Amino acid sequence: MIDRRDFIKLTGLSLALVLTEGGFKIIKATQEEIINPVLWANITKDNHLVLLINKSEMGQGVWTGLAMLVADELDFPWERVRVRSAPAGPQYIDRKLSMQLTGGSTSVRNMYDFLRQLGATMREMLINYASEEWKVPREKLKAQEGYVFGDGKRASYGELWEGAVKLPILHKVKLKEPSKFKYIGKNIPRIDAREKVDGSAIFGIDVRLKDMVYAVVERPPAFGCKLKGFDPSRAKQVEGAIDVFAISTGVALCGKDFYSAQKGRESLKVEWTESPIKDFNDQKLARYYLNALNRAGAVARHNGNPEDVISKAKVKVESVYLLPYLYHATMEPMACVADVRKDRCVVYAPIQSQTWALKTVSRITGLDEKDVEIYTTYLGGGFGRKANVEFVREAVEISKKLGRPVKLIYTREDDVKSGWYRPMNATKFVGALDEKGRVVAIHHKIAVPAVFKWAGMFSKIDRAAVEGIENMPYSVPNLRVEFVRIDLPIPVWFWRSVGSSHNAFTLETFINRLAKAGGRDPVELRLELLSKNPRARRVVEVCAEKSGWGKGSHRGRDMGLAYHFSFGSHVAQCAEVSLDKKTGKIRVHKVVCVIDLGPTVVHPDLVVSQMESAIVMGLSASLKERVSFSEGGPQSLNFDTYPLLTMEETPEIEVHIVKGQGPMGGVGEPGLPPIAPAVANALLWGYGIEVNQLPMTPDYVKTLL
Amino acid sequence: MTEIYINGKLYKVSLPEDTPLLWVIREHIGLTGTKFGCGKGICGACTVLLEEEPTRSCITPLKAVKGRRITTIEGIPADHPVKRAWVELNVPQCGYCQPGQIVEAYALLKKNPRASREEIVKTMSSHLCRCGTYPRILRAILRAQGMMGVKT
Repeated sequence: MIDRRDFIKLTGLSLALVLTEGGFKIIKATQEEIINPVLWANITKDNHLVLLINKSEMGQGVWTGLAMLVADELDFPWERVRVRSAPAGPQYIDRKLSMQLTGGSTSVRNMYDFLRQLGATMREMLINYASEEWKVPREKLKAQEGYVFGDGKRASYGELWEGAVKLPILHKVKLKEPSKFKYIGKNIPRIDAREKVDGSAIFGIDVRLKDMVYAVVERPPAFGCKLKGFDPSRAKQVEGAIDVFAISTGVALCGKDFYSAQKGRESLKVEWTESPIKDFNDQKLARYYLNALNRAGAVARHNGNPEDVISKAKVKVESVYLLPYLYHATMEPMACVADVRKDRCVVYAPIQSQTWALKTVSRITGLDEKDVEIYTTYLGGGFGRKANVEFVREAVEISKKLGRPVKLIYTREDDVKSGWYRPMNATKFVGALDEKGRVVAIHHKIAVPAVFKWAGMFSKIDRAAVEGIENMPYSVPNLRVEFVRIDLPIPVWFWRSVGSSHNAFTLETFINRLAKAGGRDPVELRLELLSKNPRARRVVEVCAEKSGWGKGSHRGRDMGLAYHFSFGSHVAQCAEVSLDKKTGKIRVHKVVCVIDLGPTVVHPDLVVSQMESAIVMGLSASLKERVSFSEGGPQSLNFDTYPLLTMEETPEIEVHIVKGQGPMGGVGEPGLPPIAPAVANALLWGYGIEVNQLPMTPDYVKTLL
Repeated sequence: MTEIYINGKLYKVSLPEDTPLLWVIREHIGLTGTKFGCGKGICGACTVLLEEEPTRSCITPLKAVKGRRITTIEGIPADHPVKRAWVELNVPQCGYCQPGQIVEAYALLKKNPRASREEIVKTMSSHLCRCGTYPRILRAILRAQGMMGVKT
């Protein structure tokens, strides 16, 4: 996902890179915040607060976390708060990202001041209005729990709202002292829980419009293929079929319901051009990536003289890693409802990137952005995947051709075939120790596709490729970080924690190998490397303490610890692991997780649930997941061949929050990177096994024993 | 014309008999709480009750449920301990798999209110959740047992 480094600062003005249809351009980020309350909020006559939230709810709890900020400053009863999704439009951009996008674990960080200010502004305007109406000095009035009262008068916010919003908009209203917080810092109920439990929550795939038809898209079997020709005659004869035609990504089949659209595929004949990577299977991909490590890379960081120090070192450690393409596997596959008319277009979609969707729809339809309405539904999982709006484009293309509303649904197989994976990558690490086992040099090189380039934001050093490495908090006097760009026609994209999802694995397992080579305790070595970073040290120390690190036997289980800084937060995790040597099967029994996301924690239980979530997803990837290839296309097309972690494989998870000083950090992603190396480090500790590939399937682990 | 009973109501639908029950429920009856996840009966998002049995509706053809009673997520009472526990523990994240999980848990406790922790884990491991809500699902089911006054 996109992080703060997307911004470049020039001459004191905040400028931002924004993706447009013609590439990316630099725009000036809005400086002065002018908050117009009616754009963001309404208080109904019966005293419900309705908020338009500009961030996508994809499970991370952002609607709860953001609505709390407004309700706290406004002083409004939580059970009367309602959240709606803000439509796509320039008025709802996140001013710190200069676009409407949910990603990079930035939502609460970026909206924190703004939404508190919104709530405080609303409260003051309500008091001002009551004061004018009642001719009571405002010092005698109070606003609490949804009511303004004083001097014998009392009215609900809802009764006052219509008059209050006609007053001049206030600026820079004084915010509450943190000691007066009513919701911030407390575990209040998730605002979306009830409708997600009773089945009424509307996801993209659930939207129904009058006269709507259904569509699926037949896609190429391999990447880089183009449509050569197709014979729709038999597919069109299927009961309920409406039309079959080509779109930019394949052949669209439309029917009166999903089943009749889907059924046409069985009799559809399609011819594709040959894939430029038709001879690529898993073995070929592995060789291709590993060979790329022989190329010189672009230098992302160079300190001291690592080559020299390494060549003279007595103790050298070298590792080469190969990590797979990963699939997002959102439980809701891509789905979008579009209704393209001559003079306007309405889209309902589960998307993370409203700005990109708006630009795309406007381009495809030829309509002005103001004539395009895009409404974000709940997302049945996002993890970065739904920031890519290719599926929205497809739905719009289909509706435009049909001239009627359509719901496009990806089958699971379509979803895998569409690509946009977490990139595969090969990494080489060489490290050197001095006679005391101190790390004196590290040379890192990664060969990986450039995620930001695929997202239209090219740079010589792709930020995702080296994130977590070039900015590592470890003090290593001689350090070189290199990036070799892989250019294959396999689309890659942001996958929860992005570059850190692979870089934390290689770096953190390599640190343990250095510790082993130098006869050092891996926790003690980390603390030494982090001597200049007290926040990082603290999470490692707390994690070691809470997990009982170094306290002898853990019922035959081995422990591994890893630490990573990403998206503004420090996270350490310690995994208790056992291995069945006969079967190669790994069991992760318990994970202790410590996070420092700064001094303000808006909703501690949501932080805990995001840590649980990231640990389960990270563990799933590290033990089970890999997109397998044959003849240039993916072979693991559904959950039978792309298995996910289940409840019985899920460890006990214990989360501790440490409050360090500094800016607020993110929550959705930073919990993921440390889990894979924590598990691998336990195997190194307990069995001397070096895990150089993921996933740690029983078959692979057996080869290491 | 095929007759089916969904959440106690009789519906008559005129559709090819091989149409999967999932799409009948979602698109023709209009109850969208039951979700499409994999189309192969693997992930569990489409789980409904066929009589008392949790059933993967994405691989169950319409002809197999003629005249039979089906319960979807919408048909489980809002005040049922399973649903209450789910809300109390903030179980759902994205929420997409939760209807299937809840239907499975509801069926399990109906059949075996004293299900042990191991039995619960085993049964629920047939459902996938990408958000990783498993620890909370387990706690919610244990709490629901508590609400139902079950001693395990």
